[in-house]
Amino acid sequence: MYKSTSLFVIFLSLFVVSEAVFEDQVGKFDWRQQYVGKTLFAHFDSHSQTSKKLFLATDKNIFASFNSRTGDLFWRHVDKAGPEGAIDILLLHGQDALMVVGDGRLLRSWDTNMGGLNWEAVLDTGSFQAACFVAIQDTVKHLAVLKNAAISLHYLTNGHQKWVENLPDRDTVQYQAVYSGGEEEIYVLGVVPNSHLTIIAYSLEDGEIIKQRSVEAPWLSSVESSCVVVGQGMLMCVDPGTLALYTLPIQSLDLEVSPGFQPVLVSSQPHPARSPISEFFLQLGPHHHVLLQLNGDGYTIAPLRDFQPAFLVSFATTGEKTVAAVMTPKNETVSVQKVNNSCFFFFFKNMSQSYLKSKCMCSYSVLLSDVFPPQLYVHAFLKKDDSVGYRVLVQTQDHALTFIQQPGTHTDTGTYTQTLERTHRHWNVHTDTGTYTQTLERTHRHWNVHTDTGTYTQTLERTHRHWNACKPKNTIPTVKHGGGSIMLWGCFAAGGTGLFGIDSKSGSILWKHYLENVQPNAVFKLIVQRTTAHFPHPPQCTLLIKDKDTGLASLHVFNPIFGRKSHIALPVLPRPILQSLLLPVIDQDYAKVLLLVDDQYKVTAFPSTKNVLQQLQEMASSIFFYLVRSDQGNLSGFRLRKDLSTERIWEVVLPTDVQKIVAVNGKRPNEHVHSQGRVMGDRSVLYKYLNPNLLAVVTESTDTHPERAFVGMFLVDGVTGRIIHEAVQRKARGPVHFVHSENWVVVSSSCCKATVVVVVEATVVVVVEATVVVVVEATVVVVVEATHHIYLYRNSKYFFLKVGLPSGAILSLPKMFLDPRRPEVVTEHSREENLIPYAPEMPIRTEWFINYNQTVLRVKGIYTAPSGLESTCLVVAYGLDIYQTRVYPSKQFDVLKDDYDYVLISSVLFALFFATMISKRLAQVKLLNRAWR
Amino acid sequence: MWLQVRLSEVCLFLQAMFTLACCFSDMESGPIATSGSVQPNGDRFKIEGRAIVPGVKTQDWISSARVTVEGEEYIGFLRTDGSFVVNDVPSGSYVVEVISPGYKFEAVRVDITSKGKMRARLVNFIKTSEVIRQPYPLQLRSSGPHTYFMKRETWGWTDFLMNPMVMMMVLPLLIIVLLPKVVNTNDPEMRKEMEQSMNMLNPNPELPDVSEFMTKLFSGSKSSSSKAVGGSKASGRPAVKRR
Repeated sequence: MYKSTSLFVIFLSLFVVSEAVFEDQVGKFDWRQQYVGKTLFAHFDSHSQTSKKLFLATDKNIFASFNSRTGDLFWRHVDKAGPEGAIDILLLHGQDALMVVGDGRLLRSWDTNMGGLNWEAVLDTGSFQAACFVAIQDTVKHLAVLKNAAISLHYLTNGHQKWVENLPDRDTVQYQAVYSGGEEEIYVLGVVPNSHLTIIAYSLEDGEIIKQRSVEAPWLSSVESSCVVVGQGMLMCVDPGTLALYTLPIQSLDLEVSPGFQPVLVSSQPHPARSPISEFFLQLGPHHHVLLQLNGDGYTIAPLRDFQPAFLVSFATTGEKTVAAVMTPKNETVSVQKVNNSCFFFFFKNMSQSYLKSKCMCSYSVLLSDVFPPQLYVHAFLKKDDSVGYRVLVQTQDHALTFIQQPGTHTDTGTYTQTLERTHRHWNVHTDTGTYTQTLERTHRHWNVHTDTGTYTQTLERTHRHWNACKPKNTIPTVKHGGGSIMLWGCFAAGGTGLFGIDSKSGSILWKHYLENVQPNAVFKLIVQRTTAHFPHPPQCTLLIKDKDTGLASLHVFNPIFGRKSHIALPVLPRPILQSLLLPVIDQDYAKVLLLVDDQYKVTAFPSTKNVLQQLQEMASSIFFYLVRSDQGNLSGFRLRKDLSTERIWEVVLPTDVQKIVAVNGKRPNEHVHSQGRVMGDRSVLYKYLNPNLLAVVTESTDTHPERAFVGMFLVDGVTGRIIHEAVQRKARGPVHFVHSENWVVVSSSCCKATVVVVVEATVVVVVEATVVVVVEATVVVVVEATHHIYLYRNSKYFFLKVGLPSGAILSLPKMFLDPRRPEVVTEHSREENLIPYAPEMPIRTEWFINYNQTVLRVKGIYTAPSGLESTCLVVAYGLDIYQTRVYPSKQFDVLKDDYDYVLISSVLFALFFATMISKRLAQVKLLNRAWR
Repeated sequence: MWLQVRLSEVCLFLQAMFTLACCFSDMESGPIATSGSVQPNGDRFKIEGRAIVPGVKTQDWISSARVTVEGEEYIGFLRTDGSFVVNDVPSGSYVVEVISPGYKFEAVRVDITSKGKMRARLVNFIKTSEVIRQPYPLQLRSSGPHTYFMKRETWGWTDFLMNPMVMMMVLPLLIIVLLPKVVNTNDPEMRKEMEQSMNMLNPNPELPDVSEFMTKLFSGSKSSSSKAVGGSKASGRPAVKRR
């Protein structure tokens, strides 16, 4: 029986209005941008002269290879998110990239050419401290990994362990560095903070301790941050307390450290088989570096040059030549806040005689106040004429990478690498921008920026009439406080740093705006107050920024088309904001009114003109909002009073010791109800329970035991607080994703080794004397792949679900499969209603992947918005990457087909035209002939 | 229909596989138990296997592929020869998948006992306890590239001609044009035969033709009747009658 039904489902699914991409549509309406995150380690491929590769390890646990000329991604490997996949170190040797992952959990070797793994070895437990290559007689064969309790030596060819030794006195000594200078010994440096320094020399052959000595160093607290190895195995340490460098007092060099700054040493070991170079940098202040040289006798240090101001320093070596790169500002004009940064390069021939040659090699400009560059990577290579060429990679504070090549060409490799992940707590997309004129033109035709107010109030009235005769009130759907942010189409709210306006057509950045004084943990909400539909008035967006700790909020009002900040007077918000709601009320300038509720339940309106306040007073009795306190398990409803204070009208308490509220979702403000019900097989009508105030509340159990865990779902009326329905999915646990639209809630959770989707549909069965009996039907469907995210979108006719799969695919799922009324046995009625028989398993077909092979990894959200064209919907999926496309759930019925044959139609037209001309002529001749006869 | 046949075939094949697997299961569990792949750090195990895309060089697809165990719980990467190891997996039951945007791979469920005994079986989300053994270390063979795209309808002469509407138009046309030529109407025998068949078709020769009746009704005159008959000359039948 099951087999036959599933067969039937498969058979039917072939005929379902499936939404797939045609091959010739690839890249036509969609674009994808791939990101990697903030760079932690970067290496140039120095294996061959002409190599264009660049290797990055990032804080998103990604190891990626870029084309250094164009910034294109060759490949990237995305490891598990979180500390288990964190990259501790990235070392490059020839073609192999060595990586320690997950705090010393795994050691991986990658073939950088193919992008595949050479080998992977499991390391012993213990937290990772340091790693270095070990060379004997100019060939690098081993890698030494230092952990807090042991040191191990691994072969580079297969990752096998040569030996592992426990470190002596590991309870007291903190081992922090490992060093090998090409001899038969490996040195491990440990420190007992503020007491002494321990140096242990291990034999390369068998791991025996050859020497062990300890040096009194009461001033030393950490080897990692304050010591480097310079020259012929000399350890150079800087003491921030007494301002001493090694044993030489720092003052003897006439240097001064900025107050409160921890001096930092920078040195370089070009090849593991050789000693580090004897020149090194000492950073004395945030913008102050000194280049020093350790003399041949090993005891005297000579300053070579003082750089002030200098932002960044770095060393690079090719062959016998070593280059020190210093980034210094060229000219600074504070008023414009634009700073020209230039790179000065100094090179000095190896070790012995240090002749300095310095010139400004290249310059590039950057907005310094916004993006201070925190990291610099330099790669030097020998050109054919034996001169030195450079490639420079600069990482700026917004985590963008800029690649500079010597002739001065520089390419941006992903200008907003970071902004994407950190920010997108929620950004949403609403309307289409482009240029202003374009939008104006499109408003009428293609991309109709929807004007919510009209249609929205309409919906309210309609639903109101339908379901709710006894309570002549309507609430405004609201979002949980500290919730998401809605974004104008093409704008990306970026966490902490910036706001981007992105062209929906190409994905290029139209404008960016850095926000000042935003805490990294702030939450955002983007509100479209005025669309482009009101011509003389520019469109207006408001970004509500809320500090998560203090709850204090600030508003940032801007024009979404150009990104310009508007000069509207902003309300003062002295109290923490709990909730914000956008009303369908508009002021005389057609801007929608935003209400902000503070922690004393006082309401602030923005804009708060006289007109608005008057309207609010009139409407006050019908404005409701709700607040969620998930820490107290409290959901409460409020009503607005005429004096803009509020009163609590209901409260639902879900005991926090059993379950916690995960998410609350109301009706989306831009949702339009197109049909009131559906016709059943027996010609009766099944009405939807269209309550615009319906809240769906999803809870998770606090007990995480797989047998006792559950996921709960409540449907709560936002006006009365009545719980209309409650459902519990046993043995289920998070992460829970859900969608709430009209009378329909879909909750996905993982349960019993699979992902389970619960569909709940509320329908009105009897309406007698203004009493409404709500019947809720529910069904359970098992989805084969674990779902990440479920998002709903709809166009005029069809509901479709967008599901982000962990494989990176975005699935477009017809609602037909998630119908709680799917019967187990097919009857005449159900066939007439187009119901497919129930099957517990959900088919997933690759044709339903709207992003074909353009995978979007770690999907955080999918946002859909209807476009002005009835058949078309815009979809944006974001996570690690951004993917944007258009979808046509019911085919492009209002647009000519992509492959419409203009040649054929016009040739047929011309042929017909000529045929009529010719036949007319022939008819004339015939008539003439007949007349002559 | 072919789908059903195909599916039943697949079912049969699977059953055969299952019985085969049952036969060999005892033999299989032997070496696995001994190989045991217990790792130094206690109760953590590794899942080993190999992914093959027939006819494609490994370097063309491994850089975009990865191995996921139970969603993204554990992740492994493919070696340059297509083999993979997912390290650090505690005992339990996991769905192992090779995810590649280019090629399709079947998922496999791997069970690891607390002693490190490994078993691979087909994934069944409905009946999670059903066991259909698969080889371990895993041998995952790609069943070809993903089909992401729908085929565009192309315009071809055969499609056009095979269209039922076109057939409906063309066939009568052929009959009208060709039949009089094929059938020799001048042959008296043939004519007789045809006349007979016409009479057969028209069971009651006395009953007037509907169209004739109608025209008679409206015009009422005899001349118009003959005109009407003449009008339907093209059909060939009245022409025969008239003679």
